[in-house]
Amino acid sequence: MRILRTFLSLGLVFGLALASSAQAAQFNWQQFKGTQLRVLLNKHPWQAGIEPHLKDFEALTGMKLIAEVYPEDQFRAKTLVELTSGASSIDVFMTMPAQEGLKYMRAGWYQPVDEFLKDASLTAPDYNWNDFLDKTRDAMVAEGKLIGPPIQVENVALMYRKDVFQKYNVKVPTTLDELEAAAKALNGKAMTDDGQPGFGIVNRGKRAAATSMFAGMLHAMGGTWLTPNREPAINSEEAIKALDMWGRLLRLYGPPGSENNHWYEASSIFSQGKAAMYTDANSLWPVIEDPQKSKVVGKVGYALFPRGPKGHSGSTVAVWGLGMPKTSKNQKAAWLFMQWATNHDQVFKVQSEKGVLGCRDSVWKDPKGKAKVPADLAESLAQGSKVGTPLWNPPVVAVAEVRDAVGAAIVTSIQGGDVRAAANKAAADMKRIMAETEKK
Amino acid sequence: MANEIRAQKIPAWVTPPRRGSAWSLFVEDHPVLVFTLPAVVVVFILMVFPVFYTVYMSLHSWFASSLTGPEFIGLQNFKRAFTQDERFRNAIWLTLYFTVLATALQLVLGVSLALLLNRPFRGKGFFRSIFLLPMVATPVAIALVWMMMYNPTLGVMNYLVGLVGLGPYTWVSDVHLVIPALAVVDTWEWTPLITLITLAGLATLPLEPYESALIDGATPAQMFWRITLPLLRPTIMVALLFRSIDCLKTFDIIYVMTAGGPGFASETLNVYTFQVGLFYFHIGYACSLLVILFALVLGVSLILIKVRRGAW
Repeated sequence: MRILRTFLSLGLVFGLALASSAQAAQFNWQQFKGTQLRVLLNKHPWQAGIEPHLKDFEALTGMKLIAEVYPEDQFRAKTLVELTSGASSIDVFMTMPAQEGLKYMRAGWYQPVDEFLKDASLTAPDYNWNDFLDKTRDAMVAEGKLIGPPIQVENVALMYRKDVFQKYNVKVPTTLDELEAAAKALNGKAMTDDGQPGFGIVNRGKRAAATSMFAGMLHAMGGTWLTPNREPAINSEEAIKALDMWGRLLRLYGPPGSENNHWYEASSIFSQGKAAMYTDANSLWPVIEDPQKSKVVGKVGYALFPRGPKGHSGSTVAVWGLGMPKTSKNQKAAWLFMQWATNHDQVFKVQSEKGVLGCRDSVWKDPKGKAKVPADLAESLAQGSKVGTPLWNPPVVAVAEVRDAVGAAIVTSIQGGDVRAAANKAAADMKRIMAETEKK
Repeated sequence: MANEIRAQKIPAWVTPPRRGSAWSLFVEDHPVLVFTLPAVVVVFILMVFPVFYTVYMSLHSWFASSLTGPEFIGLQNFKRAFTQDERFRNAIWLTLYFTVLATALQLVLGVSLALLLNRPFRGKGFFRSIFLLPMVATPVAIALVWMMMYNPTLGVMNYLVGLVGLGPYTWVSDVHLVIPALAVVDTWEWTPLITLITLAGLATLPLEPYESALIDGATPAQMFWRITLPLLRPTIMVALLFRSIDCLKTFDIIYVMTAGGPGFASETLNVYTFQVGLFYFHIGYACSLLVILFALVLGVSLILIKVRRGAW
């Protein structure tokens, strides 16, 4: 046993050495040897996946990595405080462009990486930027500039009970009309093992939390957050239809009290077998397939968010990525790290070992790359991330405040109130908030 | 001090030259200053300075995220709150509604419980301790448990009201029920405090008025309304003061259970301020909301203190 292990580790070292020398022949990974990089990471499946491999980067480049990991709330606070101070020593940090991209870019906190990516002396020839799923690349752009590479992607997707759909002979919805028909047909039908009735559909309904999933319906209906000249479009006819439908589905075919349901409550109801459908981030699949807590393991299908009446896609493309502060003194070295962490080998490792939803098409096409996740999830994720929209959040500076304004209209809709009036109010609030926070 | 006394007793020319470092001589000369200084500094840095800084910031417009510094805008924040901000008006109303409802419930229940527990009966000590338990529990844990109880699909509350033919309700998801439902949680948690204070008050009541009332032939009801309650009033007012201040600034249970929802139906002033300050990063405006909350709490307390002093 011990001999075997020695052999294995010897082989590993040898292989690594071979691999790095082969790459080094084409590209100089050692050009910043001795540099020390400070990397700020959010506690996240991707971080857990990449951390064991960080020493490979040090071996390859001769650089030293200081990786700091914080739970999400502290991570956000820490990053914000350091960047605000203007004297941050961070070289690379995890970032969610739809949440903070516009704010950070306008504040001049990001160092865009477009130039580094084009530079043949800084980017390995086998990096293959176009291998990243189309919309995950778009999702890393703010104000026309590239923030960095994406590391993880998720879409708002349709999760449905395969067994229930089969039992009652209902077609899996691919359009919003079919979604409503299925919710209606299945609401009140027996769904659990002991024959208890369940709801047609469950979704988030809690004010701000609901907006990122509602974004799917908004775009499927053909709506948007803002018009091209940055006027609120949340009271357009398409957006009002979307608001109305989100509320109507939950009011008529969803659990009572949806107005206070975040993903936690909604996914509990679904994983307890009490609902036939659930539209939320497909990155929730480990919760739904958790044999310890879920009663629907193996019974759930994963599909694209249904398309709208005019064929618009409802998939949203939400990514975590890597960014580099303008204050970093080792920008080129930091780019080498960003590049290494997202090259084919690392994405493959993290995805095949931990089931992290990576952003590279080639890895999703590789049977080993997608072995950890349900097959239909792998399929729909790769597809949704090519055709969906990166705008799962309103593209504004004050994201949290605008989400609350839109969320209020969603709640009104769930409660059966005047959707048009609520949408107009949300649009007026958005206009005021944007005027306050985006004056130049 | 020590020096003065010595100076009085011994003629100045006999005083031996003082020895010691400059610091120890300074301490000897100014003991009051030196020994209170640390406390004063701590209070100043942690309490006085933040209060004044909050007031100062309330006159500014500042987004913590932008690179521009605070901009002085006078009373604009207050003007906006009172004339343009619907969420603020809603929050003020909800804060008062919640406070009145919760304190009223707690007062009636708390005083009744105290009267009950004041009577001699077997296992009195045991029951006293049991009734005080909710107060010791962690508010966030309480909120999480109540959230499960209120859950319309899985919770026990709908079963309970169903026994008497009511419901089902959606409780904290119902715009009209959310504040009463939250007030019930607060009542469950804090009624014991009123009981505790009232019990202490009951223990100090003199016996003489009851004796003369008995001799005059008063009924138990008369004795309660004419003697016990008036004598207890100062105590009850203290309990009321504590509870209303706390209710006005309740945050934990509301934030955990509803985060101000559904919509904004339980967004009290404190919850709204938290949102404005730490989610929207509109620091200046959040500070002005805090100043208003402070004024509200102070105003209510002053009124209650006046009522207490004025009547007795």
